[in-house]
Order: sequence, then structure tokens, then C-alpha cells
Amino acid sequence: MDGKKAAILGEIPRLRRYARALLRDRDAAEDLVQDCLERALTRLDNWQTGESPRRWLFTIMHHLFIDQMRKVDRRGEAAMLSLDTDEALAAPAEQLETVASREIVNALHAISPERRAALVMVAIEGFSYAEAANMLGVPAGTLMSRISRGREELRGLLEDSARRRTLRVVEK
Amino acid sequence: MTRRDFSERDIHLALDNELPGDERAGYETWLEANPEMKARSARYASDNEALRAAFADVLDEPVPARLQNIVIGEAAANPPVFRSKWWFAAAAVLLLSLGGAGGYFAGAIGLDDGGGPADRLAEEAIAAHVIYAAEKRHAVEVPASDKDHMQTWLSNRVGLKLVAPDLTEDGFELVGGRLLPASDSSKAAMLLYEDASGNRISLFVTSESAAKTAGVYNEEKDGPTAVYWLDRGYGCAVVGTLPNDRLNEVAKRAYKQLVSSIWS
Repeated sequence: MDGKKAAILGEIPRLRRYARALLRDRDAAEDLVQDCLERALTRLDNWQTGESPRRWLFTIMHHLFIDQMRKVDRRGEAAMLSLDTDEALAAPAEQLETVASREIVNALHAISPERRAALVMVAIEGFSYAEAANMLGVPAGTLMSRISRGREELRGLLEDSARRRTLRVVEK
Repeated sequence: MTRRDFSERDIHLALDNELPGDERAGYETWLEANPEMKARSARYASDNEALRAAFADVLDEPVPARLQNIVIGEAAANPPVFRSKWWFAAAAVLLLSLGGAGGYFAGAIGLDDGGGPADRLAEEAIAAHVIYAAEKRHAVEVPASDKDHMQTWLSNRVGLKLVAPDLTEDGFELVGGRLLPASDSSKAAMLLYEDASGNRISLFVTSESAAKTAGVYNEEKDGPTAVYWLDRGYGCAVVGTLPNDRLNEVAKRAYKQLVSSIWS
């Protein structure tokens, strides 16, 4: 196996994490990684050797993700998932350990795909603003505003679900 | 130390290690002087921590062999047409959360290039529904009282393992089923359901190898609507003249049960 392929193999765990943060359904996330790897292998020449393939691979995956999200937007008035649709049809019961963890994952999937991607790249994957902006193909200012609005939205959703939980306890 | 005014924006910069080192001390001083901003900063930091924790385990999971094989070069066993359902899943989630989107519901929301097999499936399903759901005594060939036989018979004819979904939670009882011709000389199973007030809906299932898609189809303004999806070798449309959110609910329940029966 050549060095390029070995380097790509090494990135799979991070690609899987990024996909899982972007998409609620595990199988769907796995398929996204698969699509990304397949596309990457057909364009190995586009990757500048000597560089880590990480940003190159993340860029490919992000484009695959966002293209499809846009198609959804164009074709229908795609409503965003609300926090109440836990049992979304394509999501098999994902066994997450705690209420807190489930709530933050739900909230993350309820914000817009663009904000979600920006937030995940920076907050989970640890990319710098410059790197993330480059991979997402947006100006730094746009990235910055997606991050701040994304965090703001996430906080609002988490507060709503905390409030609902309190209400349920009170009602019992 | 650089002197400048700080704002909420700087909370994000600080959290993401984007604040220049020489501004850090000034920022900390500003934060101490603004309890509200300090609380906001703590809140964002803990949300960040929770996000990282929620996905931390993924890095430790073994890499699935099918992903490794793509890179190493051993051909994946799956035929390409059955792969790449991730976007279908994402889209279907969006689609089924459309319920209650008011008057907007008509028109296809196909996610592939539209038209083609998806529209054909929806058209056939609507045509069958218009003809048979209106029949009082001859709506079905095999009545629900003979359900086991009906399921075996239709499964054999259509070439899919079919189990008539239980839709009683939505108020629908199975009336029965029939076998119908479908496009490309294939066959379709039609399952008819009825609620207490006599509203009928039908499920139209075919084996279909077209690309994955999902959508809503409506030919005439006051005519029946079809919620359909094509996935990994089969296609299904749920047809009825119900309010959109109710049809959506029924479709969601039918989808879950059909998928688990077909792929069990």
C-alpha cells in the first residue's frame, strides 16, 4: 500500500466522527464517509503530497454533505427537525448514554446544516477559523457568524429542552 | 497589553483559541467586569465540552472493514446502486418533519433528479387508490381475515418479504390486499386500510431498484396525495385524502414496519 493510502486510512476515524456529528443516523453517516473516500480515491491527484490529507478529505466530505442539504432545501420547504422528532424515521434508536448527551446531540441536529458544520469543525474537530473557513469555502467573517449564531441557537434549544424536562417533572 | 473594547464576539474567539495572546489579559479583565458575559462564556465552554464528549467515543471505534477496503482497494461487495443512502436518510427525516407545514404539501419533493421511477410509482399508486378504494364490496382480493395467506401470496408475487403494517395506532384497520400490475412488467401489492369513519388509505409496494428518493406527490388539488419513498430494492407509496400531517404520521409508521419486515 502506498503512503497516500496509508495516510487516508489514518483519517477515517476523524471522518467518521465528523459525519456522525453532521448526520443523526449512523448508517447514513457511515455512507457519507464511504462516499467521501470513494470520491477521494478518484481524485488522488488533487491532493498535494507532503501535506496531511485531513483538510482535503474534510473538504470533500463537507461538499458532499452540503450539496445534498441544498437539494433538500430547493426541492421542498424543508423544515428543520424539531427537538420533538426524536423518533425521526431514518434514525434507529441510537443508544446515547446520558440525557445531557442526547440533548446536545438533538440540539446540534436541529440547527441549520451550515451552522452545524462550522461549529463541529471548530468545536469538535479543533480546526482553526482559517482552516475551517477554507474547507467550508466561506469568508472568515461568515464562518465567525455561523459559529456564534450556531452556539447561540444551541444554547436556546438546550434551554428549551431543560425547561420541558422541568415541566414534565412538575406535571408528574 | 493591547487596549480595545471587547464584545460577545470575543467570547467565541477566546473559546476557540483565536484571540491573539496579547489581548488575552484585557479580555479576562473585561470578562471579570461583566458577570453576564462571564456566565455566557462559561455556558458556551460547557456546551463545547458536552459536544466533544458526545462524539469522543467515535474515535475509538474500530473502523468498519468496508471503509478500509475502499482505500486498500478491495472492491466493496455491495452493488453501487444500493449504496449512498445517507442523504436519502437525511432527506427523509426532513420530509417527514414537514407535517403541519400548512397548505404547502403538493408537488414532488423528489431528491434525485425528480421524475422517473418516483413519479411513476406515485402515479400508479394514486391510480390504483382512485379505482379500488372507492369499491365497497370488491375493494380487495384477499380480505384481512385471511391476512397470513395474503402476506405470503403477495410476498411471493412481488418478490419482497411483506408484512402488512399495523396502523391501528393511527386508527386504521386492514381491509385486505390485492395484486396489481406495475410498470416494467413488475407486480405491485396494494394494501387497503380503513378508519372508523370510512376513510381509506392504501399502501402500494413494488420491488424497484431505482435510486433512493422520497417525496410527496399530488396530481389534482383535491385528489389523493401520495407520500412515497424508494429505497434499496423496493418502493412504497402511501395514498389517501387525509390531512397532510395525518398522512405523514401514517406513512412514517408504515415505513418503519415495512423496512423492518423487508430487511429482517
